[in-house]
Amino acid sequence: MRATSRATSRAGAGAGVRAAAAVVVAAAGLTACGLGGSEEESMAGKDSLVIGVKEDQPALGVKRPDGTYEGFDVDVAVYIAGKLGIPRSRLTFRTTNSSVREDALASGTVDMIVATYSITAGRKTKVTFAGPYYVAHQDTFVRADATAINDVRDLKGKRICEVTGSNSWRRVIEERKVAATPVTVNTYGACMDALAAGRLDAVSTDDLILAGFAAGRPGRMINAPFTDEKYGVGLKKGDLKGCEEVNRAITAMYQDGTAGRLLLKWFGGSGLKLTTSVPQFEGCN
Amino acid sequence: MTRTPSHRPTVGTSTSASRSPAGTASRREGRPATFVRGEWLRTIPGRIGTHVALCLAAIGALLGVLTVTVGNARDSVETIGRDAGPQVVATGTLYFALSDMDAQVANILLIGREHRLGLGYDESLRLYERRRAEADAAAVMAAQLAGRDPALRRTVQDVLDGLGKYERLVGQAMKLDEQAAHEPGRLPPDVVEAYREATDLMRLQILPKAYNITLDTGARVRQSYETERSAVLAGRTWVAVTGAIALLFLVATQLYLARTFRRVLNPALVLATLGTLALTAVAAGLLTAHVGHIRTAKEDGFDSVLQLSRARAISHSAFGDESRYLLDPGRADTYEQTYLDKSLSVVYPDMGDKPVNLENYHIGLEQKVRAYEPGREDVPFLGFLGDEARRMEKGRAADALARTLDAYRAVQRNDALMRRYVAAGNRAGAIDVRYRTAMAIHDFGAYDQALGTLTDVHQDAFDEAIDDANDGLRGWTAVPAAGAAAIALLILAGARPRLAEFR
Repeated sequence: MRATSRATSRAGAGAGVRAAAAVVVAAAGLTACGLGGSEEESMAGKDSLVIGVKEDQPALGVKRPDGTYEGFDVDVAVYIAGKLGIPRSRLTFRTTNSSVREDALASGTVDMIVATYSITAGRKTKVTFAGPYYVAHQDTFVRADATAINDVRDLKGKRICEVTGSNSWRRVIEERKVAATPVTVNTYGACMDALAAGRLDAVSTDDLILAGFAAGRPGRMINAPFTDEKYGVGLKKGDLKGCEEVNRAITAMYQDGTAGRLLLKWFGGSGLKLTTSVPQFEGCN
Repeated sequence: MTRTPSHRPTVGTSTSASRSPAGTASRREGRPATFVRGEWLRTIPGRIGTHVALCLAAIGALLGVLTVTVGNARDSVETIGRDAGPQVVATGTLYFALSDMDAQVANILLIGREHRLGLGYDESLRLYERRRAEADAAAVMAAQLAGRDPALRRTVQDVLDGLGKYERLVGQAMKLDEQAAHEPGRLPPDVVEAYREATDLMRLQILPKAYNITLDTGARVRQSYETERSAVLAGRTWVAVTGAIALLFLVATQLYLARTFRRVLNPALVLATLGTLALTAVAAGLLTAHVGHIRTAKEDGFDSVLQLSRARAISHSAFGDESRYLLDPGRADTYEQTYLDKSLSVVYPDMGDKPVNLENYHIGLEQKVRAYEPGREDVPFLGFLGDEARRMEKGRAADALARTLDAYRAVQRNDALMRRYVAAGNRAGAIDVRYRTAMAIHDFGAYDQALGTLTDVHQDAFDEAIDDANDGLRGWTAVPAAGAAAIALLILAGARPRLAEFR
């Protein structure tokens, strides 16, 4: 008799359990879509980072024969990663050329790009930019004896370097409408050689890039900047948390004097006027 | 066997008369022993007691979860609605006030001895003082927001230090300017040099920091919003889960009683079950609505207001670059470039392959913005107002945006006209466009006002969403406790007559 009673009560409870379990599952299902998904995985929470840099820009990003990288961008990346709690031993640097930067971030082959990556409205639709960590300006490098060239308008009638794939010459001739003559050369290194040899009158591009190539060469930076190139830290689109953390790291880099030290270390000898005050950030979105 | 009486009251006999005195006596004797061995669980009153206890515990858990979650929901309103949100917007004033200070200085220096030109010497000076006071107030706000964050405090301090230095430099430039008593737009080199020092400090060191303060405090609001939103959503899940568990226990109790006492339903337990269902469903609904309100406040209100306040500050700064362009011909290229960059950040029309210069900007702006209809999917321009347009549906905000864009085009047409004069070598004509005729100043004022109206639309959406969120939560201090208490009483009321049968 008791056994029957127990059995029925169990069966009753069993039905109740099933019904209630269905409610729980339904409720959990309802709420699950609201949970998570609000923020994608951020690079700020990773244990190790793959960082995209250039391999052929003197003083900014250079690959050494032993396969390691050096330069201002590399040092900046190491500092930022350090502030995010990731030591140098857990960083992997990877050469990321200009043409593949957006794809590399979107596909996740790199977590962060620090490679003279200018923030533009068009790129902002595909990439979340932290920073800028430095605002470079287009400037012009001339032979030491070319005292007549003191600003961009003095390039009228002069031969300037047109590097394949770079827009810098357009900024002089098309945007500024200065009637200079473009001379096509393959790389900025070759431009500097051509300048020294007298086959060109001026090389005009981002001042930090110029300073890197000009190191150890005779010549003069005219210190007449005429554009703002906001070098940003490229992150996967939508990684707002990572972006905010990187901005805090950049603020710290300027506040503790590291930025000034690094600029001096890499560009101090170029005669370039360097800004050691934190740049205006772009805002994370 | 005898210590665990197998009372199975059948229908019609479940009265106290059916109790056997012997059974009661033997149960009393054996109590401590059966309790220790857990055998009390095998008695019917023991089982009823267990059921009731589990139900009450589940209701208690539901009450606890509800209390915590409603508390989290209140916190989220505080953060977005009352504390940080509005304060962050207020720090946007810092950038605006500072950049307008420098613009007023440029105005004063440019007009020289002709004190009635443009806004006029007195008015510009008055505005300068007012912006200085606004900047101070906003810096205090920023310092409060910085709290214990040393990096942010340091940035605020740097801005204030820089401001002190800036004022000294401006004082020198003004003094030299007064001594020179030059005609409008023809500044002696020493005045230009003194102003350069001041404006470089402002534009390259102070303003970026002021801008970063707003970004950083805005980032904190976003982070705490995300945290609190997840907490409320997780809370909602817990409410649903504990509610479901309570329902499970209640249904199980109901079934147990029905089987054991051969009754169809226990009315009090039915009420308790319905009450639990209602409390859980209403609470989950409330929390869902709450998350929606807070989201509206954050995305449609806070984010937009902040974006538009940045657009306003940058527009004023660009307008100042026009003055600086006229004031310092040696740096005309630089100021034209900064004007272009700032304009691009406000509205960036698709210019195709054409070189990005001011001339093409003016052409592209006319083409793309005139063709734009609010509510359309493909917005042919980027920038702050482009972002705004992409968020937009038809309605009050769309009308306000359309008016803002029209006014912005008027401002840019004046700019194009001014630069055409300069390009033609007619600086006096350019100064007339920018200062003597009321047009440029008036049109810029109209643009500023349109932008203000657009901001107000979002501010209203913000206030409304916060009010809705507050209204939703009103009363939810008492509701969970009262509801849980009522349900608990119903459970006890439902179990009591059944237990009474065993006394």
